[in-house]
Amino acid sequence: MPGETLGLVGESGCGKSVTALSILGLVQRPGRIVGGKILFKGEDLVRMPVDELRDIRGRDIAMIFQDPLSSLNPVLKVGFQIDEAMQAHDKIPKDQIERRGVDLLKEVRVPDAARRANDYPHQFSGGMRQRAMIAMGLSNRPEILIADEPTTALDVTVQAQILELLRDLNEATGTSIMLITHNLGVVAGLCKRVIVMYAGEIVEQGPVEQIFESPQHPYTWSLLRSIPRIDADRRERLRSIEGLPPDLIQLPPGCKFSPRCPYRIERCFRDDPQLKEVAPSQEAACWVTMKRAYAEMGAATITDTRPGAASGVRPPKGVAAKVVDARTIDAAEGPVR
Amino acid sequence: MSSATLDAERQRLGTEEPLLRVVEVVKHFHAGVIGSVKAVDGVSFDIRPGETVGLVGESGCGKSTLGRLITQLIPATSGQVVFDGVDITKLRGEKLRQQRKQLQMIFQDPFASLDPRMTVGDIIAEPLENFGLVTGRQKDARVQELLRVVGLNPYFNNRYPHEFSGGQRQRIGIARSLGLNPKLIVCDEPVSALDVSIQAQIINLLEDLQREFKLTYIFIAHDLSVVRHISNRVMVMYLGKIVEISPSQELYDSQEHPYTKALLSAIPVPNPRVESQRRLIELSGEIPSPLNPPSGCRFHTRCPIAKVPTPCADTEPPLEQKAPGRFAACHFSERVRTV
Repeated sequence: MPGETLGLVGESGCGKSVTALSILGLVQRPGRIVGGKILFKGEDLVRMPVDELRDIRGRDIAMIFQDPLSSLNPVLKVGFQIDEAMQAHDKIPKDQIERRGVDLLKEVRVPDAARRANDYPHQFSGGMRQRAMIAMGLSNRPEILIADEPTTALDVTVQAQILELLRDLNEATGTSIMLITHNLGVVAGLCKRVIVMYAGEIVEQGPVEQIFESPQHPYTWSLLRSIPRIDADRRERLRSIEGLPPDLIQLPPGCKFSPRCPYRIERCFRDDPQLKEVAPSQEAACWVTMKRAYAEMGAATITDTRPGAASGVRPPKGVAAKVVDARTIDAAEGPVR
Repeated sequence: MSSATLDAERQRLGTEEPLLRVVEVVKHFHAGVIGSVKAVDGVSFDIRPGETVGLVGESGCGKSTLGRLITQLIPATSGQVVFDGVDITKLRGEKLRQQRKQLQMIFQDPFASLDPRMTVGDIIAEPLENFGLVTGRQKDARVQELLRVVGLNPYFNNRYPHEFSGGQRQRIGIARSLGLNPKLIVCDEPVSALDVSIQAQIINLLEDLQREFKLTYIFIAHDLSVVRHISNRVMVMYLGKIVEISPSQELYDSQEHPYTKALLSAIPVPNPRVESQRRLIELSGEIPSPLNPPSGCRFHTRCPIAKVPTPCADTEPPLEQKAPGRFAACHFSERVRTV
């Protein structure tokens, strides 16, 4: 939605970054988009010719990456690289480009912007480089800014500044932000809506307050309980998610989370659940959902988080071999004592 | 945690002799003609048996260097590291080697810290063989026991590191460090490279092992939420100095140093309601270079309550007790509340 801040969360390898790269048509070979549509203002980006897509990329939809140092050219001045982004499209009049370059650096709160525009990337600190990347991303006044783990490589104090900057920019310019991250705290601070991904699929989505307050997918629920929180009692044991995310080459049948899920039922091993509404504007892909897990499986007081622990459901014969393969044996079986 | 259990914990940890005493340890790295990097610049603290002490700070504050000084992987420029009553900075050769048996380390990167050409069994057995503790048959039995202890399949001893995921590799690193029955393990960012759902598994494992083997941990990380969760006490470092030491449970509610408060204010909480209320204390500027740290209190250039020049820019505040069990190096601790 225009002006929205959307968070895309999940663990490494769950498909967050590939989703973002697909939007811009940047998926590297041998990867390709085999189906589906990506609609931007009614036009399908998947079927769009390469040169038309190039016009949209960086002009209407811009992207910033996790590691600002490897995204900047080390032998070109920072100011030049920002100007270059504007020269690639004709959205900004040529005679305004240089002034706008410096103004953008000011806007992203780089101190002494006019002088720093003449610096090279190595003369910038990590936080400053990310600011420069954001300036570049915003240079053509894009409608969507995709930020792929923009603060993961930064210290927490710098992270907080960058997030505040993104929040202010979203309010001031109305640019939609799609934030990709594994950090649920970051999502809670910046996003209005959140999508949770697991093994290449969306497992839950909805307004951020609702998802954090009453997550319906066991994966979202477990993820929120597995992280230590600075404002919680530190003596409480973390409710870890046992096992590992599945191998994307050999996905388990049925629900992808079933090998690790404490609340799984027989059906989870058979049928893959689709997203369906679980509350107003909240969707989850789960046969059980946490409502039922609370009502029937004692989710409120669960301490054993091993797969099937709450429901008592073991994988059916034949499926077991695939679920408990070499990679997952330690956790699927629990610590062998 | 109730105050009764907190008192009990304090009492248990307070009555015993320290296992480790670090006294005025300094580490300067020479950087040629431009001077030296003052990575750790006069740090003192005690750690008691069975305790977990967290060490936090931003990158470049010297926390990893301090971890390496404690295990004597790098020699100190000056100061003492007294482990179990012996100053290990004075030991050399075989004596240091024997003492180090008690002092193990778990590293951040589970990919770089395991030799890709050795089997898991050989990796775990290497320290044991190094000290002549196992031979022949015993080796496999001990390796399998250690694998079992860290929650891995004991029959994986003939596999290679690349066959394991990040979390499993970190378990292998932990098994290796446990082999010599150490008293103290320095954990240098052990969960930073892991996915969120795997982090909790490793943290829980470390807690279980501590109970089972009566281990003492120094837990180094930049993630204050993780550090606070696992530690009894937390030490906050800034530019080579410890600026605050506090019991973990109390740290979130009150702080004695403005830097600690700023650091806490920057941590995102996974709760949108809390997040919308959170007030970020923004520090001006960037961390100064450890080549040439500021005079007086090193934090004065970014401190919201500093009085410059006197006393903050000319007198270095000592790390002193501000409340029972709480230490801070600040001239104006009583004003931290107002930040």
